[in-house]
Amino acid sequence: MKQRNSDLWKRIKQQRFLLMMVLPGMVWLLVFCYFPMYGCQIAFQNYRITDVLGSSEWVGLKWFAKFFKDPLFMQVMKNTLGISLLKLLFGFTAPIIFALLLNEIRNIKFKRVVQTLSYLPHFLSWVILGGIMITWLSDTGVINKALIAMGVLEEGISFLAKPEYFWGISVISEIWKELGWGAIIYLAAISGIDPSLYEAAEIDGANRFQRLWYITLPEISGTIAILFILQVGSIMGSNFDQIFVLHNALNDSASNVVDMFVYKIGIGNGSYSYATAIGLFRSVISLVLLLIANKVTEKLEGSSLF
Amino acid sequence: MKKILALALCTAMTASLIAGCGNEEKKGEGELPAAKTEATEGKPGWQDDTEPITLDWYVNYSWYTSVWDTAEFSQYIEEQTGVKVNAIIPSGSESEKLNTMIAGNTLPDIITIEAGDPALQEMVQAGLLYPLNDLADKYDPYFYEVTSEQTMNWFAQEDGKTYGYPNASISPDQYDDVHMVIYQSFNVKNDYYEAIGSPDMSTPEGFLNALQAAQDMYGDQVDGFIPIGFHSFSDTGNYSFDSYLLDYLGVPKEIGGKLYDRREDKGYQEWLRTFRKANEMGLIAANVFTDSRQQLEEEIAQNRVFALLYQNCDFMPEQEMLWMEDPSTAYVAIQGPSSGNAPALEGPSISGWTVTCVTKNCKDPERAIEFMSYLLSEEGTRATMFGEVGVSCELDADGTPHYTPEYQDMYINDYDAFFERTGSEPLWMLRDPVLEKNWSAEQPDYLSQMYDWGVPYVVNGSQFSQIDPASGTEEAEIKQDIDLLWGSTLPKLITAASDEEFDRLLSDYFTQRDALGWEKLLAVQQTKYEENCKKLGITE
Amino acid sequence: MKKRLKKVKLFDVINVLLMVAICFLMIYPIWYVVVNSFSEGTEVLKGGIYWWPRNFCLENYSAVFKNKEIYTAFGITVLKTVVGTVTSVLFTAMVAYGLSKSYLVGRKIFMVMGIVTMFFSGGLIPYFLLIKQLGMLDSFWVYIIPALFGFYNAIIFMTFFKNIPVELEESAKIDGANDFVIFLKIILPVSGPVLATIALFNGVGQWNDYFTGVIYITNEQWLIPIQTFLYKVISESSSARIVANMPASVRNSMVTSTTIKYATMVVTTFPIVCVYPFLQKYFVQGIMVGSVKG
Repeated sequence: MKQRNSDLWKRIKQQRFLLMMVLPGMVWLLVFCYFPMYGCQIAFQNYRITDVLGSSEWVGLKWFAKFFKDPLFMQVMKNTLGISLLKLLFGFTAPIIFALLLNEIRNIKFKRVVQTLSYLPHFLSWVILGGIMITWLSDTGVINKALIAMGVLEEGISFLAKPEYFWGISVISEIWKELGWGAIIYLAAISGIDPSLYEAAEIDGANRFQRLWYITLPEISGTIAILFILQVGSIMGSNFDQIFVLHNALNDSASNVVDMFVYKIGIGNGSYSYATAIGLFRSVISLVLLLIANKVTEKLEGSSLF
Repeated sequence: MKKILALALCTAMTASLIAGCGNEEKKGEGELPAAKTEATEGKPGWQDDTEPITLDWYVNYSWYTSVWDTAEFSQYIEEQTGVKVNAIIPSGSESEKLNTMIAGNTLPDIITIEAGDPALQEMVQAGLLYPLNDLADKYDPYFYEVTSEQTMNWFAQEDGKTYGYPNASISPDQYDDVHMVIYQSFNVKNDYYEAIGSPDMSTPEGFLNALQAAQDMYGDQVDGFIPIGFHSFSDTGNYSFDSYLLDYLGVPKEIGGKLYDRREDKGYQEWLRTFRKANEMGLIAANVFTDSRQQLEEEIAQNRVFALLYQNCDFMPEQEMLWMEDPSTAYVAIQGPSSGNAPALEGPSISGWTVTCVTKNCKDPERAIEFMSYLLSEEGTRATMFGEVGVSCELDADGTPHYTPEYQDMYINDYDAFFERTGSEPLWMLRDPVLEKNWSAEQPDYLSQMYDWGVPYVVNGSQFSQIDPASGTEEAEIKQDIDLLWGSTLPKLITAASDEEFDRLLSDYFTQRDALGWEKLLAVQQTKYEENCKKLGITE
Repeated sequence: MKKRLKKVKLFDVINVLLMVAICFLMIYPIWYVVVNSFSEGTEVLKGGIYWWPRNFCLENYSAVFKNKEIYTAFGITVLKTVVGTVTSVLFTAMVAYGLSKSYLVGRKIFMVMGIVTMFFSGGLIPYFLLIKQLGMLDSFWVYIIPALFGFYNAIIFMTFFKNIPVELEESAKIDGANDFVIFLKIILPVSGPVLATIALFNGVGQWNDYFTGVIYITNEQWLIPIQTFLYKVISESSSARIVANMPASVRNSMVTSTTIKYATMVVTTFPIVCVYPFLQKYFVQGIMVGSVKG
């Protein structure tokens, strides 16, 4: 035991600078994240806004039970997971592909222009974008007009009035909006690749696709893996701003996600507790998913969070 | 992996069990400081003390603007009373802002919130507000002279005291004194209506025929023609199909002293069936279900909408625009759906719109209540609406103020400049409501017809307001569930493919509603209704 | 030889066309908003403005700028973005560097602590009470200190740091440098891309944040940033006067709430679009060249 302890102290002393660099971050976490966490207890209480936090009456798992028993529970979970998985499948891969393709452009000026333009949609707020989409997607809107002109459709479809289109609309519009922005980080990773690797490959006679497959991708695979894990961890969430603005009475059966459900409960008083309980449920599931994804990625790729 | 998960959960749980330390007592301690000036009988308290003071006034609406320092009217008020109002406005997320202020005990001197806001109850119960009665008794009995006793009673809490005073509140007694405008009307586009022969739209057949005729005539000409427009669908239903239609049809709210279940009314259901039929005939555009208010406004501006079961004040700008281009293309109010009864359109209620309260954090409750009295008096109301006599307004023989020609011109032709200069109506939160209504300027032509249409049918429904269960109770949860149920049923009713399906959906709704606890909810509402009747002195 | 050349060319052509199409798709909706923001409000209501403003007018922008407070708000935003981004990037990078060393004592615990915070939070009320206790209500520091550390960003830093060749650090250690000095003199200079990326993320986050200004600033209204301010502008332009049961007001037909929203969006996005090109150079070229060989 003594041996172990003194080993430990030795290592701490060796790493004292590193530790001094890390400690402020941990202190910050304690103050700004862990300290307020006592607020989570209201998920098990009947909290009223005027209560001193911590003094409300305890009701155990009442709110969780209420959520699980709600007739809309399955619908809400299905919508949330469905949309998130589609966004994971398509929305995660699209920026990577875009970054790889953009990287192949020779002309630097053109490359810069494309990159700058590509991230502009990220700055459009969903409030504005949603308003535009509602107009354009209506049965007399531009999109329908174009489809009819191209012969794809006979008469206009009010896309946002039909639940079956909602998931598609949500995924496609989000990809459009975030494509350029999401690619930024991959472009950053690609720019950090040692050019000598490429030079060596060219000398060996590799063509561009081979270079891409054997050098670029493996070099940024660490980044891809981490971001993948993090996105898996957010499956239980959703882009509330987007859903809120595109949601309406007719597509509700497809757009009622967890965030929407919580929003409908309202900020009225009993619901601080209810909303917190739902939030806790989501957090636990998200964390579990994250850890699973982490394990899987570790086995496949070698990188992991821990 | 298991270890990590366990560690993570433990950390979270431990953190959440650490009781929050250092949470302060929320209850403001309430010994009222001694009065600084003696109140004299009949004399407004504010005249005794015009020392400069700044009152922080929180208004729970992000659209409220304050131009206190630069506006003439406010400067005049400040001169007169010595009070400067520092308006605190949330820039958004109003309820979160208010809740954090309550939870963190950072409420300012005076606050104004919506009359029905649950936060009011919360604050009263937590003892965060001064009873206005106490303040008036101690500092300024004049307050009683400028407030209506009926209104004070209406807003009294369980302890008999009143904590907030409303604005725009008209009690049943005052109805005759007041000039009304009614926002609910059934409107049609004048040119289209005349083109189809100005038919009668009060019966289901007439209604459908008229819509069909309009569709036949304009469906091809006008791109995206919309025979009839409504308010937007929300999670809990659609205003056009709920109280709007119910009131318009004159469906009673109570029969023989008992609250009437309006959705069971046969006349109302017949009209819902009519709308279903209209949808089947292709007369209800798909947009109607998905449009937000912005989209509907665009459609109106684009001459695409024929009929509107929609509040006339809500499309004022579009109406003005159409009128300015060509008055015949604007909308007029006509007799719409009827099941034989006269419409029973709600006039202003005694519940008013917002309430204003004095919090226990107030730095000078004496000045606060005196200032409130000032605003509620004729003097104050005139100052906030018209400014100083001789400068921006003149009085005529019976004391009614009018803008001077210069200001009147600005008001009509360049409202933005008017607003900047005068801070027009800077303090609408507290005014004499009767005077306010009577002194309001004449409505422009393009609005007066619609506004006046409903006036003969006005009823006072004050006793029906504020009968909903208090938030946090079981009945409140029931109400919310029922509202959400209706919200998902209504669109299905309208888009139902046949009358049989409609009937089935409707009866399912009633069954489910009963299962959710309708009777309990009704019982609570009935009790509150009876209390209201007592407060207003309405006997059966 | 000939065959391979042709193949490469075709791919390039398709790629370029694809990029052009993407450019168009990306820019068109923005263009739509810009064009409509310069058009007269009532015309916008009528719809159909797709390529060029109709009834060109600057009223929407003058409505946005007429309030002098916008300039203070702008200043505050710039200040909070610059200070907040610099401090946050450096702080997070520093902590992340330590955490990127797999031999660090207690690393696993630190990682778990961090990950947990990404999922569990106590909610708005306790957080508000904390800020109040720390005396940061109505203070500029409420924009900076609670934003100092972002664990998500820390993870990204860690990923990049792991890819830095160990030789760089080892040669410095041989020269007697401690970890902190290595961090400053070796790691930071070669981390251009990731620093720029996180700076961009943080910068945009600071720039776009409107919620902090709403909740934590009450009495010192001059401290609100431009997003919060513009949110107010939008709310004010909506049918406020009608809601307040006021006599009918003649609305200026130049401006509607829709066009004001468009104008405010342009105003808030424009500065970022101007700044980004300066950061871009970190994304397009490599920085590694020459560092190992030395």
